[in-house]
Amino acid sequence: MNRHTRLLFKRGLVRLLILTAISFALVLAFSEVSFILQKEESDRAPQVVEIFIPEGTAQLIAAGNRITSIPEEMTFVVGDVLVIHNNDSVQHQLGPLFIPAYSSASLAMNTADANAYTCSFQQTQYMGLEVRTPTTNWTRLQGLLLAAPATAIFLFVYSLVVVPLEKKPKAEKPAEAVE
Amino acid sequence: MKPVHYIFAGLAVLVILVAGVGAAVLLTPYQFHGSEIAPARTAPEIVLPTVGGESFRLSEQQGKLVLIFFGYTRCPDVCPLTLSEFKQVKEALGERADQVEFVFITVDPERDTPELMAEHVARFDPEFVGLSGSAAELDPVWRAYGVYHEAVPMSAGYSMDHSAFTYLIDKAGNLRLTYGFGTPVEDLLADVRELLKEEP
Repeated sequence: MNRHTRLLFKRGLVRLLILTAISFALVLAFSEVSFILQKEESDRAPQVVEIFIPEGTAQLIAAGNRITSIPEEMTFVVGDVLVIHNNDSVQHQLGPLFIPAYSSASLAMNTADANAYTCSFQQTQYMGLEVRTPTTNWTRLQGLLLAAPATAIFLFVYSLVVVPLEKKPKAEKPAEAVE
Repeated sequence: MKPVHYIFAGLAVLVILVAGVGAAVLLTPYQFHGSEIAPARTAPEIVLPTVGGESFRLSEQQGKLVLIFFGYTRCPDVCPLTLSEFKQVKEALGERADQVEFVFITVDPERDTPELMAEHVARFDPEFVGLSGSAAELDPVWRAYGVYHEAVPMSAGYSMDHSAFTYLIDKAGNLRLTYGFGTPVEDLLADVRELLKEEP
């Protein structure tokens, strides 16, 4: 490797490093702004979600009434634990959950999925449960790690076209006309 | 500092890290895969006739885990799949399988006699318990376990729509966990293994 090639390599490396830093900053800014603007309720850490079945629910449902304190659809994130407290004097069921009277039953939401489950404490006899994959800090970091290097390479190649590493030799001044 | 000191320092950090991770894993309480019922409550009693003329009593099974499923012998899908999963669990438990009772109770007493139930479950495993009885005997059991069942007329006879919970009773006779149909066998097996560690 001669001196000229080493010089070009050094210039290229410095440029690539600078553009990588710029790319990380750009991607981070864009992704975070997008995340903040499009953030949803399900973009949160897993938690325990509780539902309380009030006393007399079975009677109200049998009479055709709706239990207003319980939503007809719920959204979870993977890792949530749904705990249903049955304060009614009869057992209730929600999909795979069997909740004896005056007991509670829990279910870990381990898989992203969306289902309408049969439900004994809904007037419609169904309850929609959706489990989403949350956008966690790790997801955001993964996005950054995937996008930033690609952006850096793109900017680097573009920069080679716009500003080549090898500077063009300055045009020699035309010799002054000798009178 | 000599190079050997760096090596010892590195090894010490590694040991501390491994010990920390190990302690965290060991101290984390077991998370059941099934739906856990809290507070654990005594499982509703089941008393149903067996083929030999004696009665099966759930309360007499204390000291063992009991897995219960409600279905019927002519079921084309859910019941045979669940029984084959019971068989897989039993096989995976090996010698400890004698600490678990596998029980299949009919939702179709009109067609499923105690003899037919016993024959049916024996095709999966001769030690499985198949139970039937009169509607009067079964009705309180169905109610206590919230078993939905309804005959659906077909061109030839009828089929049964029924709920598909698996109930897990612990060694103390408490209804501890329920599982919806489709729960992976590995999950059921892991929970059974965990409950087997408990003293009655």
